[in-house]
Amino acid sequence: MESAIQLKALTKRFGSFTAVDAVDLDVRRGEIFGFLGPNGSGKTTTIRMLCGVIAPTSGQATVLGHDAIKDPEAVRRRIGYMSQKFSLFEDLTVDENLRFYAGVYDLTDEKFAARREYILRMADLVGREGELTANLSVGWKQRLALGCATIHEPELIFLDEPTSGVDPTARRHFWELLYELADSGVTLFVTTHYMDEAAHCSRLAFIYNGRLAACGTPGEIRALMTETVLEVDVDDAEAALLALERVSEIREAYMSGAVLHVNVGASSPASVVELLAAAGVTVRGIEVVDPTIEDVFVHLVTQQRAAGETLAATAPEAVAVPNPPVSGSPDA
Amino acid sequence: MSIKHIRLLIWKEFLQLRRDRLLLPLIFIGPIMQLIMFGYVVGSDVTNIPTAIVDQDMTMTSRALADSFVNTGYFTILERPATESDVQTLMDKNRVQVALLIPPGLEADLARGEQVPVEIIVDGADSKTASVASGYAAQVFADFNQKRIEATGLVPDAPGIDARVRVLFNPTLRSVNAMIPGLVATILLISMGVVMSQAIVRERERGTLEQMFVTPITRGEYLLGKIAPYILLAIIQVSVVMVVGIFWFRVPFHGTLLVIGLGLLLFLFTVIGQSMFISMISRTRQQAQQATMFILIPTMVLSGFIFPLESMPPEIVPVTYFIPLRYALVILRTSFMKGAGLEALWPQFAAMAVFSALILGLALSRFQKRLSD
Ligand SMILES: Nc1ncnc2c1ncn2[C@@H]1O[C@H](COP(=O)(O)OP(=O)(O)OP(=O)(O)O)[C@@H](O)[C@H]1O
Ligand SMILES: [Mg+2]
Repeated sequence: MESAIQLKALTKRFGSFTAVDAVDLDVRRGEIFGFLGPNGSGKTTTIRMLCGVIAPTSGQATVLGHDAIKDPEAVRRRIGYMSQKFSLFEDLTVDENLRFYAGVYDLTDEKFAARREYILRMADLVGREGELTANLSVGWKQRLALGCATIHEPELIFLDEPTSGVDPTARRHFWELLYELADSGVTLFVTTHYMDEAAHCSRLAFIYNGRLAACGTPGEIRALMTETVLEVDVDDAEAALLALERVSEIREAYMSGAVLHVNVGASSPASVVELLAAAGVTVRGIEVVDPTIEDVFVHLVTQQRAAGETLAATAPEAVAVPNPPVSGSPDA
Repeated sequence: MSIKHIRLLIWKEFLQLRRDRLLLPLIFIGPIMQLIMFGYVVGSDVTNIPTAIVDQDMTMTSRALADSFVNTGYFTILERPATESDVQTLMDKNRVQVALLIPPGLEADLARGEQVPVEIIVDGADSKTASVASGYAAQVFADFNQKRIEATGLVPDAPGIDARVRVLFNPTLRSVNAMIPGLVATILLISMGVVMSQAIVRERERGTLEQMFVTPITRGEYLLGKIAPYILLAIIQVSVVMVVGIFWFRVPFHGTLLVIGLGLLLFLFTVIGQSMFISMISRTRQQAQQATMFILIPTMVLSGFIFPLESMPPEIVPVTYFIPLRYALVILRTSFMKGAGLEALWPQFAAMAVFSALILGLALSRFQKRLSD
C-alpha cells in the first residue's frame, strides 16, 4: 500500500541552528503514527514542513503521493492540521468557527449541516453552539479544534500536541475520538511528549535534537532496551534521586509518575536497595519491570547526551533525567 | 482567487471586529477625539516662509522694501513673478505662501507724500503660517514707514505705505479649515495603521494565520479578505470626518471628490503597506503597537500636520520628503480649500504613487518570505 508520508533526509535550519536534521520517515496509510520527543526537539517544525507552512532547507517530503515542498496546494483539501495552538478563532462562537472552516473547504450546505451535527455531538457541544470559543474550557476547545480540522473529512490529519494542557479524562476521551477516526481509515500523525500516549499508536518515531533516535512499533521500541529496569516506590524521591545520581554504574533514574524508574546498568538491584538504605530513604516497594517506552526514550536521550558531552570533553557521569522525560530545549 | 472565500474572510473579520473591545472604540471614538484634540493645537514659530515679490515699481525704494522683508528672516524670496496673476498659480502649486505686491509708481507717489497701498497676499490654506505671516508683514511695513519718516524728517502722521493684507483661500484664517482636511488623512493613518496590523498580528499570535495556509485559502484571498473590511471602514471614517468638517465646522469645500478620493486611495496604499510590514516583523500585538507608534509620532510631527513645514530647521526638512502623509496633506488641504486639481498637484500624486508602490511591494515580498520561514 502507498505511504501516506515519506520523508527523505528532511532538514530545516534556522540560521546556523538545525531544528530538524536529516529525518527519514515512512508513515503508512491508516496508521496512528506517534511522533515523540521532548520540548524543542523539532516536532512542530517537521509538521509545519509537511503541511507546507514552511519550506525545508533540504530533503524530500511526499504527502499523499504529492511533493509537499514543491506542490503543497495539491493536498490541502485532503489533509487536516490541528496545530499546537488549536487555531480556533476565540472571538467567534462555536457555530461561527464551524461555519468558517466549512466555507474554507467549500462544503455544500447539506454537507455542512451533516458535519456540523456530527462534530457538535462528537465534541459534546450540542446546545452550546452560540457560545464564544474563548469561554470554552480546554477539553472542549481541543475537541472543537479537532472538529474544525476534520470538517472536510481529510484522509490524513496532523495533530501537534493535541492533548497538551488537558486533564487525563479529557485526554482519554480525545484518544477515543482519534481511534474512531483511525477506524474509518484516516491516517493520523500525532506529536506528543506524553509517553503514556505512545502506547496508543500503531507506530512511533522518537526525535531528539532534530534527529530521529528510534522508529518502530511500541513493541520494537521496547525491545531496544536490554538493561534491567527497576520500579522503586520510596518516601523521599528527591533524596533517592540524589543518592542514585552519585553512582556512576547506574545509567538512569527518574520519576515516572509517582514512582522512580531506575536503569541499573552495570549495577544490580541489590546494590540499589543498599544504596537507598544508606541514604536514609525508605523503600516501600521495588520490582523489576518490563521497560516502558518512556524508559527507552530516557535511555536514548541519556546516551545521546553522554555522547555529546564526551565530545565536549566535560564528561560528568550519566545522570538522572527529570520527568517529564526530558526538560529544556537544546538551544536554550 | 475565489470570491466566496474572500466574502467568507470579510464576514469573519467583521464578526471579530464587532466583538473587539479595543479596536472598535479606536475606529469610532478615535476620530472624534482627534477632531477635538487637534482643534486646539497651539501655534508655533514660523520662519522661512516661501515668498514671492511682484515688484512693479523697480526703484530704490521698492527694492529697499523687499530687502526689509528678507532681513526679518521670516520670509525667503523664492519667486519674482511679473504680474499678480502669476501669484495665484504659484500658490496653487504651493511654491509660495506669501506674495508682496508693490504697485508701479511707489517711489514717486511716496515722494509726493501720498499714501500708497501695498498688498500682501497670504495663502490661508495653512492657517497658522498665514496668520503668523500677515502679522510679520504688518510689522515690516510699520518699521519701513518709521525708518522712512526718520530719514526724511517728515511728520509722523504723514502718509506712507498702507499695508493691506489679503488672504486667499481661507479668508477667516480659521485653523480648523486646514485641520479638518489634514485630519481626514491622519485618521486613515491611525485607524488603518493601528487596527490592521493588530488584526494580522493577532492571527499570527493565535496560530490562525498559519492554519489558513494549510487550508485551500490562498495568500491573495487572505490579503484581500483582510484589507477589504478596513478599506470599507476607512471610507466610512473619512466620510464622517468630511461631513462633520464641512457641515459642523463649516470648512469650505472647493475641491472635487475625484482628486480627494484619488489622493486618499494612494495614501491608503502606503498605510496598508506600512501596516502589513509592521505585522510581518512583529511577533506580538505589543510589538506591533510599539512599531506603529515608532512610525506614527515622527509622521505626525514631521508631515506638517501639527507643525508647519516652514518652521522646521532646514536640516530636518529633507526627512519630511520621506513621509507619505506630507504629500497627502498638501493634496487634501490644497484641494479642499483652493480646489486645486491634478495639474497643480501632480508632483504630490507622483510622490505618493512611488511611495505606495515601494511600501506595498516591500510588504508583499516580506509577506511571502515571512510565511515560508
Ligand atoms: N521560526 C523559527 N526560528 C528560529 N528557531 C526556531 C523557529 N521555529 C522553531 N525554532 C527552534 O527549533 C527548535 C525545534 O522547535 P519545535 O517547535 O519544532 O520543537 P517541538 O518539538 O515542537 O517542541 P515543543 O514540544 O516545545 O512543541 C526549537 O529549539 C525552536 O526554538
Ligand atoms: Mg511543538
